[in-house]
Amino acid sequence: MLLRLITWPYVRKHLLRCTLTTAGIVLGVAVFVGMHTANQSVLYAFNRTVDKIAGTTQLQVTAGETGFPEDVLERVQGHPGVGVAAPVIEATVQTGLQGEGNLLVLGVDMTGDRNLRDYELEKADEAIIDDPLVFLAQPDSVIVSEKFCQRNGLKLNDWLTMRTMEGPKQFTIRGVMQGDGLASAYGGNLAIMDIYAAQMVFGRGRTFDRIDLSVAEGQQVDRVQKSLQAMLGPGLQVDPPSSRGQQFEAMAKIYSMSANISSLFALFIGLFLIYNTFSIAVTQRRGEIGILRALGATQGQVKRLFLLESGIAGLLGSLAGLGFGLLIARGMARYISDFMGEVYGAAQRAEEISADPRLLLTALALGVATSLIAGWIPARNAAAVDPVKALQKGRVQVITEGENRTRRWTALALLALAILCVFFGHRPLFFYSGYLLSVLAALLLTPALCSWLASLLRPFMKLLRPVEGALAADSILQSPRRTSGTVAALSLSVALVIGLGGISKASYETILDWADAALNPDLFVSSSQSVTQRSFRFPASLGAEIQAVGGIDEIQAVRTARIVHEGIPVMLVAGDVQRLAKRVKMRVVEGDPRTMYQLVERGQGVVISDNFALLRHVHKGDVLHIMSPSGRLDLPILGVVVDYSDQQGTILMDRHLFVKHWKDDTINVFRVYLKPGYTQQAVRQELLNRFGQRTRFFVLTNGEIRAFILRITDQWFGLTYVQIFVAVLVAILGIVNTLTVSISDRKRELGVLQAVGGLRSQVRHTIWMEALAIGTLGLLIGYALGAVNLYYILEVTRRDIAGMRLNYRYPFEIALTLIPVMLGAALLSGAGPAEAAVRGSLVEALEYE
Amino acid sequence: MNKYLLIFLLALPLAAQDGRTIVAESQKRARADSQRYEGTLEVNDAKRKVSTKRWVYERLGSAGESKAVLRFTAPAEVKGVALLILNHPDRASDQWMWTPAVARERRIALQDRRTRFFGTDFSFEDLEERDVDRSTYKTLGEENGAWKIEGTPKPEAKSQYTRVLIWIRKDNYVATQIECYAKDVLIRRIRYTEIEKVQNIWTARNVEVHDLQRDSRTTMKLEKLQYNLSLAAESFTLQALRREQ
Repeated sequence: MLLRLITWPYVRKHLLRCTLTTAGIVLGVAVFVGMHTANQSVLYAFNRTVDKIAGTTQLQVTAGETGFPEDVLERVQGHPGVGVAAPVIEATVQTGLQGEGNLLVLGVDMTGDRNLRDYELEKADEAIIDDPLVFLAQPDSVIVSEKFCQRNGLKLNDWLTMRTMEGPKQFTIRGVMQGDGLASAYGGNLAIMDIYAAQMVFGRGRTFDRIDLSVAEGQQVDRVQKSLQAMLGPGLQVDPPSSRGQQFEAMAKIYSMSANISSLFALFIGLFLIYNTFSIAVTQRRGEIGILRALGATQGQVKRLFLLESGIAGLLGSLAGLGFGLLIARGMARYISDFMGEVYGAAQRAEEISADPRLLLTALALGVATSLIAGWIPARNAAAVDPVKALQKGRVQVITEGENRTRRWTALALLALAILCVFFGHRPLFFYSGYLLSVLAALLLTPALCSWLASLLRPFMKLLRPVEGALAADSILQSPRRTSGTVAALSLSVALVIGLGGISKASYETILDWADAALNPDLFVSSSQSVTQRSFRFPASLGAEIQAVGGIDEIQAVRTARIVHEGIPVMLVAGDVQRLAKRVKMRVVEGDPRTMYQLVERGQGVVISDNFALLRHVHKGDVLHIMSPSGRLDLPILGVVVDYSDQQGTILMDRHLFVKHWKDDTINVFRVYLKPGYTQQAVRQELLNRFGQRTRFFVLTNGEIRAFILRITDQWFGLTYVQIFVAVLVAILGIVNTLTVSISDRKRELGVLQAVGGLRSQVRHTIWMEALAIGTLGLLIGYALGAVNLYYILEVTRRDIAGMRLNYRYPFEIALTLIPVMLGAALLSGAGPAEAAVRGSLVEALEYE
Repeated sequence: MNKYLLIFLLALPLAAQDGRTIVAESQKRARADSQRYEGTLEVNDAKRKVSTKRWVYERLGSAGESKAVLRFTAPAEVKGVALLILNHPDRASDQWMWTPAVARERRIALQDRRTRFFGTDFSFEDLEERDVDRSTYKTLGEENGAWKIEGTPKPEAKSQYTRVLIWIRKDNYVATQIECYAKDVLIRRIRYTEIEKVQNIWTARNVEVHDLQRDSRTTMKLEKLQYNLSLAAESFTLQALRREQ
């Protein structure tokens, strides 16, 4: 009843303000839902693909990306608990078909694989469907999905060109898969071929990527898993297909962390916008409150009314945020898919957005809770209104000295706690508590800082415009509650921009420094256009042939492979470590560079990257238990170097050790150093002339590799820029909201000003200057809070996101860029309210309140 | 091929002594030290579409411990593909397939033996020879001048079939029909016709397999059949498969 009689008329009258108030909640919830939904959708799409490809597979035997020798298959098939076991090779290839991107090729043994997977080959020629003999006898045979055929106008017995290790090669479509099962995996971009043909065309030697299996009738999956694992040893992993999703999830975790920080900031900003608006609403509605109380409404009823209002605002804002978040999730999912594909070669396009009800409920609860927290103090103040005083006109915007003192002391206490937390920062609970406490302390100090800074600004403002400047400064000084909420929201936005911008800048600098040191060969010979794609590999013998090309001083053969270390995929780099170390001067964090590389070369240990050490809390002297197909390798860490080859960390070992234990001498990349006097272009051309037609062969210059790394970094920070944009947008909304409120609040005051002869331009300038002053206060406090925020974001990145030890450099360029952006936005935000103030009816204004 | 199917009888149960005697006698009469023929397969699928394949088949050794090589000669796209089978009296046979285009042999796993033999209506298991003692059987009676015997593979035989019914002619101990059941469902019926004496061994020159679930039929004809010819043991190895690609 009260809502309908009291609240609804007020909302109707101040619709714009109410909408702006909820904007912070809308954006906070939207960022939270958008980022997490996008992440979940990519993960869901990945899991769906895994499920579809897995068919009735119950367990999979894997050894990371490196694969394992063929003889493992017989051991698995010989296990009494295994019903059917079929080997698989997976590779992504380019087809050259426009707009098709990559095709996922599944190499399978058709004699047994159809026990696990239903190919639904209804449309294929019967003799071929039912006759694996033809399929097996012809290594150019492929089966593709009906979707793929339809998209590209292909039919049975047509040719399909794929870029294999033997160069572009024509394959014959000997089967077309239908249905929503296997055929729809990877968006239909799926091809099936014989596993031994796949070994040949992908340069895999005699290895399989994995073995899919179903357990024998009457056997329990978990028991078979355990006994098979025991039989195969720790070098091979026996897991259900769903575990691949868990590894993918670990890779996508960094996006979730980033999304959480941004969402939290956006919600904080929303909290202050709501607090600010409700505080002002309480002031403006003192009369109504007084009448309600005089008519017998209890304090509890008034408090509940305001809390209900804030709850409803939070609910509506959250609902809008959910919708907006789901809307932006699709674009974000595409972005994350592309990024994952570039970096991990594990792309999976999310065809549809999968919204997790639990996530939506969490977001809704967060939004409503934020709003309720924001409305708590105004609601309490409303309930405390004295009915007699309330019916008298007068200002109540002044924060009492007692209230100010309490806030200051609380802020200082929180600050002391935050500092204390820094000393125990190695524990996540203390670290993140410290982060939160320091932000809270800064926000509680905002009113005091606002008053202090505004009094400092007053002479300058007065100097610029004696009357308008003084009026604007006084307005801020006399109404700290109205202003401080906005300034807090604004400073949070600025702090977020400083933090994100600072980390972006530091990352670029650090990555480029590393690239200068580590990626110094003149040319890189790769079997894939992208160095992160490892489906194809060169035979080791190619090295000698490349070395014989004129102008080449030295080549370094490198084998990179993602392996699973303690459940997380990390990068294993196997190379001639001594020679690498001579050419590459990577910054050594732990260990003696004079001896550690020698020991690594002798196979007595490994060198790890700094990010590996930080993310897994290991140091020089610790022993890594690395699982190889030949068994567990216990290798001590001989050194820690700064290396950003992989976001999850790198293990550098000698190639001989890798060949011995992984029984794989293939190569991903040859690093090529030229003799003086030879140009990159000339040698590249010579290499392409010699090998380009013979095998899948790409030569990338140093500049191209650096450009690729920069592109990846750009992609990584792409979403960060979206978050910065959201932060600035919320800040602008905050200013518009405050000034709109400010004008309504001061309608009478401005009316009086005009009535006593104040010019319209003076009123306009006063409001403009107030807007600029609020912007300046937000910037100044935001810069300071940004410095703290940057410290914490760098720490979060170091310890929980990427393990990158980034230098603390305050982003002064970004700080300077924010001045015109924020002040310009403030001025623009003030334009509308200023015009409303000068164009309104003077009589109405004088009658206000 | 018919040899194998005949020998399949020998894998049948021994529940009744007279049944076993009949099967043993059938095996004994079909015994030869080696065998060679050129086979033609015609597969009539459910849509009555016909596909044909040809191969040369050579076997060395007696039932239960023989070695055999089957090499496809036509059509062109499967020419050179070969299958090596090493039969064992006490366990399932070892089978490898050689694919010349990728120059690789692949082992046919035990788990895959229930799958169809390269698009025909035979399964890989149907190509195996088994010792009679790996099954139990009983004689059910007589029909049209033939004994009707029910065979039940023992669990260790790891057969896809739960039971088979065999008809063996009383006059010459040659099987004329086999019905293969899985969980009481008839899945294959094999008929032997054009039975004639070759080098004193009664042999069916025409074998028809009917896959009742797919309603598909495969007819196999044996040509240029010879028994007890001289074959080198080293031709029945993986090395020989690779060499003779």
